[in-house]
Amino acid sequence: MEAIAGWWDDYFWASIVVFKVFIASLLFMVLFGLIGAMAKLSNNRIAQKLASAYTIVFRGTPEILVILLLYFGSAIALTSIAQVFNPDIKFLDVPPFWAGTFAISVIVGSYATETFRGAFLGVDPGHVEAARALGLSDFQSFIHVRIPEMWRIALPPFGNHMLSLVKDTALISIIGLNETLFVAKQATSFTGKPFVMYILVGCIYLAFSTVITLTVMGFEKFGNRHLKEAL
Amino acid sequence: MTFQSRLIKVFVVVLLALFIAGNVSAREKLRVGMECDYYPFNYKDTSGELMGYDVDVAKGLAEILDVEIVYICQAWDGMIPALLANKFDLIIASMSITKSRAKKIDFSTPYRVSAGQILGPKKMKVKLFDEQDNLIPENFKGLRVGLERATTYSSWFKAKLPGADIVLYDGTEPAYLDLVNGRVDIIMTNPMKAHLKFLSKPNGAGFEFKSPPINEVDYFGTGVGIGMRKGQDELKARLNAGLKKLITEGKLTEYALKIFPFAIHNEEWKDIE
Amino acid sequence: MTESVALIFDSVLKMLVGLGMTLQLLIISSGLGLILAVILLLMRISGKWYLNLPAQIYIYIFRGTPILVQIFIIYYGLPQFEFIRDSIFWPILREGYGCAIVALFLNSGAYTSEILRGGVLAVDQGLLEAASALGMSKPQRFLYILTPIATRISLPAYSNEFISMLKSTSLASTITVADMTGIGRTIVAQTFAPYEIFLSLAIIYMILTFFIQRSFGWIENRLSRYTKKLGIS
Repeated sequence: MEAIAGWWDDYFWASIVVFKVFIASLLFMVLFGLIGAMAKLSNNRIAQKLASAYTIVFRGTPEILVILLLYFGSAIALTSIAQVFNPDIKFLDVPPFWAGTFAISVIVGSYATETFRGAFLGVDPGHVEAARALGLSDFQSFIHVRIPEMWRIALPPFGNHMLSLVKDTALISIIGLNETLFVAKQATSFTGKPFVMYILVGCIYLAFSTVITLTVMGFEKFGNRHLKEAL
Repeated sequence: MTFQSRLIKVFVVVLLALFIAGNVSAREKLRVGMECDYYPFNYKDTSGELMGYDVDVAKGLAEILDVEIVYICQAWDGMIPALLANKFDLIIASMSITKSRAKKIDFSTPYRVSAGQILGPKKMKVKLFDEQDNLIPENFKGLRVGLERATTYSSWFKAKLPGADIVLYDGTEPAYLDLVNGRVDIIMTNPMKAHLKFLSKPNGAGFEFKSPPINEVDYFGTGVGIGMRKGQDELKARLNAGLKKLITEGKLTEYALKIFPFAIHNEEWKDIE
Repeated sequence: MTESVALIFDSVLKMLVGLGMTLQLLIISSGLGLILAVILLLMRISGKWYLNLPAQIYIYIFRGTPILVQIFIIYYGLPQFEFIRDSIFWPILREGYGCAIVALFLNSGAYTSEILRGGVLAVDQGLLEAASALGMSKPQRFLYILTPIATRISLPAYSNEFISMLKSTSLASTITVADMTGIGRTIVAQTFAPYEIFLSLAIIYMILTFFIQRSFGWIENRLSRYTKKLGIS
């Protein structure tokens, strides 16, 4: 146990990194999932095809490859995109934090697309019609009717997506992100005690998963409170 | 549909803003890529600080050239691709100057000697090299060799012993670990590091060198140098001048003496143009 | 440009050599994982706390930690102990291949057992009651009623898990296994062309995924053909 002695603070800061990646990728994942789901549900054939391609590509590619590709290729791709907006930019670089966060958001976002699509389809169309009949605009009915009803249905599988995000963070250690697995690798070479170091990483991730699972259970209770059975 | 396009526009603007913000700076910044896990040349100690010979060289150059250095940790087998993808500007990671690497990137003058040596258990009786230090290929049969991907050691092995049972690792430390727990029979690695970190410690008690130091120029190059993208002659000249200064001011010796009882560079290098 | 094409062609051939390894990892660990999953399932639905609790803890740990961490613990962590190196398991754990299979099947077992449990819970209680009324014993009900229906229901979720397993095999490359990803990374290290190599590799995985999805779809159709005829779901 003394082996860990000098490394507590490294693991602590590394856990903060895991948390930061989680929050950032969560936002992007929801964004990609919503955009993808809306595209699939829209009447626009091109949007549907693009969204289909998105889910097929990222559900069929190993996460580690997407991370490596985005890390090495991102500079090239983003520079070309950015030059459309501002021709003065010579190069844009993507640090491992953002390359990794973006990579895992895109991947889990493709699963989230299917989840949100199913959830949107699960919203009672009668409610949406009623909203329109009351004079709410498309945007208003989206915000006030469709999204609230949708997220309650999406919650259980969405909880799984959040767990995937947390666990995929470990993969970003491969491109040098200073999260817990990366710290463990370095600590191992210093102390020669791999088992303890990696078990510690496992415990940290287990702690994150537990917190997420409990939070999701809490939200499920909250979202379903109006459905409590009458005794 | 307007809601969607609004969302997309916001997203793109936010993304762009983040990247542009990250690129604003004052003093000239040079990003340096290193493994961060290669004791004693570049590694992190328990307080998380980067230390080692390569780190000292980088700091010394930063002072002489008056630049700010940003360290970026990178897995070894992605080191050159990362440099080419503009993840960083320099590689100061104990990278040997070899012909095949020089095809893709430029190197500074060397700042450390480069050699490889084979490590194996003492109880292994088979001799891999004869008295004249010549290779005996047949004696390698049945031996499993641990090597790191993309290193001078793996190129040497592939060229000299193409039929060998090779296991490739992402880094050096895993290879040492597996040597100790018997997953591989021999490994080929940096002799200085082997002596310091391994053979002189309890972990390495049952092991010894099974070969003389191998430094064939074809595979190990003239030494270890600073890597940079091609076409940056001005930068190369500045770095070479800086390295020369480090040698003549005795700094390289000073850095080496922190870890080894001897200098690990060649004094003649201060005269290279 | 032609240099790129030649490089891609050459690399793809080399990486396809790893296809055998990838498929071995996938099939063996999924097979063993399925066996483990059934054992865990039986423990979970047994109703006895001393079987249910250990199974729950096992599943909680293996679903709550990243598979890469599990792989590292088994490959790097276990050999730290003398008794592991002297045990009968050492010949398996000595190889990166062996460790990868162990880690993958332990992980797959945990996820699959939850999927099977979902399938079991979704079986119409009425069918089981009818079987009971007809005099079938518990094991008979499990074997002839529960298993076939639960299997059909679990199939979509299981196909997702199977594809997930395929993607996880690529992580074996981090512990020296020469699967497609491992060979790809070695080629990238030699040629410094990550974009072309990794893109081709990604396409190979996508094609594999496509075939797997097609196959599972076919199996699902075969198993569901009686539901279509009778109009039930």
